[in-house]
Amino acid sequence: MSEVERIDDSRARFSMRVWIPIITRAFAHRNAVAGLIGGGVVVAGIETVLPLLVGRIVDEARAGSEASLLPLLLLYLTLFVVFAVGVWVFILGAGIVATRTADQLRRDCFAKLQSLEPAYFDVRPTGWLVSRLTSDCSKVAGILPWCILDFAWCSAILIGVIGTMFLTDARLAIWALAAVPVMILVSAIFQRYLVRSGREARRVSSAMTAAYGEMLLGARTTKTLVREEANLAEFAQLSSEMNFWAMRSAVLSSVYLPLIASIAAFGAALILWQGASEVLTKEGITLGTLIAFMQFAALFAQPVQELAQRFADILNASSAAERIASLLATQAKIGDSATVRAPTHDELRINALRFEGVSFWYREGVPILENFSLCASRGKTIALVGSTGGGKSTIVSLATRFYEPRTGRITLDGVDYRDRPLAWLTEQIGIVPQVAHLFAGTLRENIRYGRLEASDHDIENAARRVRAHEFIVALEHGYETQVGEGGERLSTGQRQLVALARAVLRDPQILVMDEATSSIDTATERLVQAGVDEVLKGRIAFVVAHRLSTIRRADVILVIERGAIVEQGTHRDLLAQRGRYFELYTNQYAADKERALLHLTDAKAEATVASLVGDESE
Amino acid sequence: MEGLRSIWKLARGEHASFGLAVVALIVAALLLYIALLVPQSVFDTVLGDSAAASDISRTIVGWMGGTDAVSHALWIPALLMVVITGFSGVAIHLKTRLAAGSAERIARRTRDRMYDHVQRLPCSTLDQLPSGDLLQRCTSDIESMRVFLTSQAPEIGRAVLMLLMPLPIMAMLDWRMAIASVVCVPAMLAYTAINFKKMGPSFAAKEAAEAAMTANVTENLTGIRTVRAFGRGAYEETRFAASSAAFREADAHLFRLFARFWSISDLMCFTQQIIVVGLGAYLFANGRLELGAYFYFLTVVAMFIWPVRMLGRMVVEAGKALAAIARLDEILAKAQERDLDPDAAHAKPLTNTREGLAISFRNVSFAHRGGPLVLDDVSFDLAAGQTLGLVGPSGAGKTTIVQLLLRFHEPDAGTITIDGCALSLIPRASIRGVVGTVLQQPFLYSKRLRDNILASARAADAHQRAMESAAAIACVHEALLAFPEGYDTVVGEKGLTLSGGQRQRVAIARALVQAPRLLVLDDALSAVDAQTEATILTALRTNKDTHSLPPSKLIIGHRLSAVMHADLILVLDGGRVIQRGTHEQLVARAGLYQTLWRIQTELVDLASESSDADAAMSDRLTEGSSTAVLEVRDV
Repeated sequence: MSEVERIDDSRARFSMRVWIPIITRAFAHRNAVAGLIGGGVVVAGIETVLPLLVGRIVDEARAGSEASLLPLLLLYLTLFVVFAVGVWVFILGAGIVATRTADQLRRDCFAKLQSLEPAYFDVRPTGWLVSRLTSDCSKVAGILPWCILDFAWCSAILIGVIGTMFLTDARLAIWALAAVPVMILVSAIFQRYLVRSGREARRVSSAMTAAYGEMLLGARTTKTLVREEANLAEFAQLSSEMNFWAMRSAVLSSVYLPLIASIAAFGAALILWQGASEVLTKEGITLGTLIAFMQFAALFAQPVQELAQRFADILNASSAAERIASLLATQAKIGDSATVRAPTHDELRINALRFEGVSFWYREGVPILENFSLCASRGKTIALVGSTGGGKSTIVSLATRFYEPRTGRITLDGVDYRDRPLAWLTEQIGIVPQVAHLFAGTLRENIRYGRLEASDHDIENAARRVRAHEFIVALEHGYETQVGEGGERLSTGQRQLVALARAVLRDPQILVMDEATSSIDTATERLVQAGVDEVLKGRIAFVVAHRLSTIRRADVILVIERGAIVEQGTHRDLLAQRGRYFELYTNQYAADKERALLHLTDAKAEATVASLVGDESE
Repeated sequence: MEGLRSIWKLARGEHASFGLAVVALIVAALLLYIALLVPQSVFDTVLGDSAAASDISRTIVGWMGGTDAVSHALWIPALLMVVITGFSGVAIHLKTRLAAGSAERIARRTRDRMYDHVQRLPCSTLDQLPSGDLLQRCTSDIESMRVFLTSQAPEIGRAVLMLLMPLPIMAMLDWRMAIASVVCVPAMLAYTAINFKKMGPSFAAKEAAEAAMTANVTENLTGIRTVRAFGRGAYEETRFAASSAAFREADAHLFRLFARFWSISDLMCFTQQIIVVGLGAYLFANGRLELGAYFYFLTVVAMFIWPVRMLGRMVVEAGKALAAIARLDEILAKAQERDLDPDAAHAKPLTNTREGLAISFRNVSFAHRGGPLVLDDVSFDLAAGQTLGLVGPSGAGKTTIVQLLLRFHEPDAGTITIDGCALSLIPRASIRGVVGTVLQQPFLYSKRLRDNILASARAADAHQRAMESAAAIACVHEALLAFPEGYDTVVGEKGLTLSGGQRQRVAIARALVQAPRLLVLDDALSAVDAQTEATILTALRTNKDTHSLPPSKLIIGHRLSAVMHADLILVLDGGRVIQRGTHEQLVARAGLYQTLWRIQTELVDLASESSDADAAMSDRLTEGSSTAVLEVRDV
């Protein structure tokens, strides 16, 4: 999980590089970006021209020429309408850029995640990845259009205002600009501190949320320990830290904003002082121009503040941008190499899968399998039994190419499976996981997941073969029943039956089943067993077995301990040996019966099994 | 309104500070408008026709030394402008400090209060409130309150003040212009308020679309192995593209609404301005308005009209925040556990000796609010220093006995006495303080292991040695030393997770280090292997020289080896005691206990006889259960 923490902890500095994938996607929407920039420039232009126009109106009114007022007022009105249209256009543009860029980023990240090997997900919590696709994408795409807009708008205003002022009266323009560098400097300094305290506040805020969560989860434990006061004292530290950073932000803003206002007033004062002299000596500008210049001075403050704010936004979002860039740049470690060769017609049928001297470890120096060999052939079921952490799951994960051997190789009729296209290999494999994962949707859709092009008839046939059809048609909506998120509306046993139907529909050559340890009632268990037999028939089958009935029916039982086969044979042979298998079997037997007698819940039953088998995984 | 009353209560002690902030805000706004009058007075008197200038202009120029003086020293009005704006800035700064200071203090106090209040709520209350809901109140509702105090309320106040303050000056300058300056305001307020109310469903639709998309991603990532197993990446991408696009569209729809809102409200603002510019120009051209006043109106309208545009939105948002605040108050109004304790005069705290606890249940019954009986007429006596074992199927009521003993719940009928004193008179902290409890699923705090073991109030200043010896009895000392930073390793950090068995054993050490008078193990060894369990139980029974060994014990377990040495064993089913006695007595009698005993001891031989044993065993078990049922009727 180190990467997860590293990226979150990194004190984000601005780096253009991480924004490149986001910017390229945003600029793909050329018209919208043009609308953004165009709208921004039009609005800025009008904002620049308005003070001049007001100045003209004042001058004309002063001259008492009522007649010339009307066209000016009409122009004024027209400009307002154009302004409003400009606003409308740039918000629409921003909407398109923000939403489409976010959408594109999300889909690209999603597609990237689909291509990555399971090991990638082992070290990254699901919730962490989900926020990459949701909040991070929305965040970076959400600020980008406003940055583009403000960049265009501010540049246009500054160029327009400065240009107009210089054209009107260069001397007064220099006086008017005197305050701008100070404003920029002050903004840059304050934004740095504001970004920092904002970031700290967010950090403390998430720590507080975690503390609240822990308080709720551990409420009973806290009561038994009578540690309410200690808890509160610890929490109060967090909340006072929060208070510190929040106050710091507030005080910084409370200095920053009036300071900018004062600097702007200082600029206006300079114009008043110098401009009024010019008006008085009657050798330069008119009163109307003076008023216009004073309004210009007020115009400077906003673009500077806006730019400072966008700069802060970018800094705040740069860790999100970095996380997205790094996800998009991740290369899948399991995929097709250059030497991949599609199987010929004769090679399509797989007769044997062999582990040849396979070693594997998750962490360097902690081997799970060492020089492990095994041959599985068509039509035979291999049951893997043994302690958790002994390597059973690793063996099936390697067989399905979720992981690849570190050394040694796994072959299909003598050909290293890494030399076969991953997509083809996947088509040949069916997996029935310990906890059946169903997707929100109908039962029919969930079974069809096994083979997308299957007809409704195929689906029902598959369901019949594993005895799932009966329970399905008994439901009110039959195959159209919505299973809910993760299949929550079905019982554990029903979910298992659906997973079995899904595997049968796929009709794979290699089948891997991680049998559920959780208890289901005896009647369902018998049903599931019938389904299991159907699924295993005629394939190269591996079962990580927990149920006695499955174990007894296997063609070969492998007892796996510490990454090696310690016993091997049929049920009868192994029982007769009175070795490790005998021990496991009898314990399992006791656990099964006890579970039935005490109606233990799933979790407890698992714990019981684990403890009876004598392997607390540590 | 409910929320307003709640916020008034929560703000107790800060009212004066808020009042001062309002004063500062008024001063700041006044100064800002006065600062604007300075150039206006210069335009009027010095640059314009001083005879026609308004009284205000003349007064202000008078402060600066009169028209002549100013015309020769134009830096004076310039400086005055900067100084007044500066003072206004100081006032704004003070206002923010005062208001933010109060608001943040209230937020902090509310956070602390909610934290403490919720952790002290009785279990029965906690059971009724989903923890997701509580978490949301503690986090986003408090945040809503903070935003209300720090931004919405001040913004509304500012906009209203900005609008109201210049009104008298405007009216004094020219009443026609004053009316013209605010003529669009009511329409704008109405438009923004109605608009944001109407946008509510679109916001909700966006949130719903986002939630659906998040659910889609979560489901895909949770099942990523299934997706890979079936090679369904491309299919999933199509599915996701649909939900992502739905969210995109909902969001884009909001953008379109906003585009419409901002451009229309811009037009309204401009209409207001054009009215002022046009009417002013007309009046000015006809000599019925001074230049300075005209300039003043132009500037002031530009200053107050834009905040007004936000006012309608702010009011709608503030309404939502007040609803959140009312929700907080609802939780804070619920009684805490200590409110339910007997008052000090009647309370009888337990003494903190090394004696065991004498426990007596007399005809105790209990049901969760409105539910079926969980305990039904349970009676037993346990002398000080004895061990009680509880056995039975899940849902039999074993844990409920522990919960009643710790006063998590109060019995509906019957009495519980501890050392001869009614439990209801013993303060909760007192009984929990003398009992070392290991719950079914022990919770470890995300702190160092050391802090976890010393977590209880009574163990806070226990020595390193006491901690290590407790850990040794719990058979976890070595395992903890093997962690990267030993006892200083932080639970849950850097992917460090403890196995179920390790968690249970750390929790046992945590209970032992309190040197409790009674140790409660509620199925606390379920994830520990049989051998370690035996070692721990033997140590608890025989290790006489350790200071932390509890004199009394209450052990719940489905492995009979855990309870077989108890002085009294109760077999529970459906909330009733169906059998009671010592291990020897129970093994000799037909019933659940005997059946369990057979499974756990004799099965090893049966199993080896091949699958026929299944049938035989099933028969025997059924027999056993029916005997148990018969016994219930006998009791």
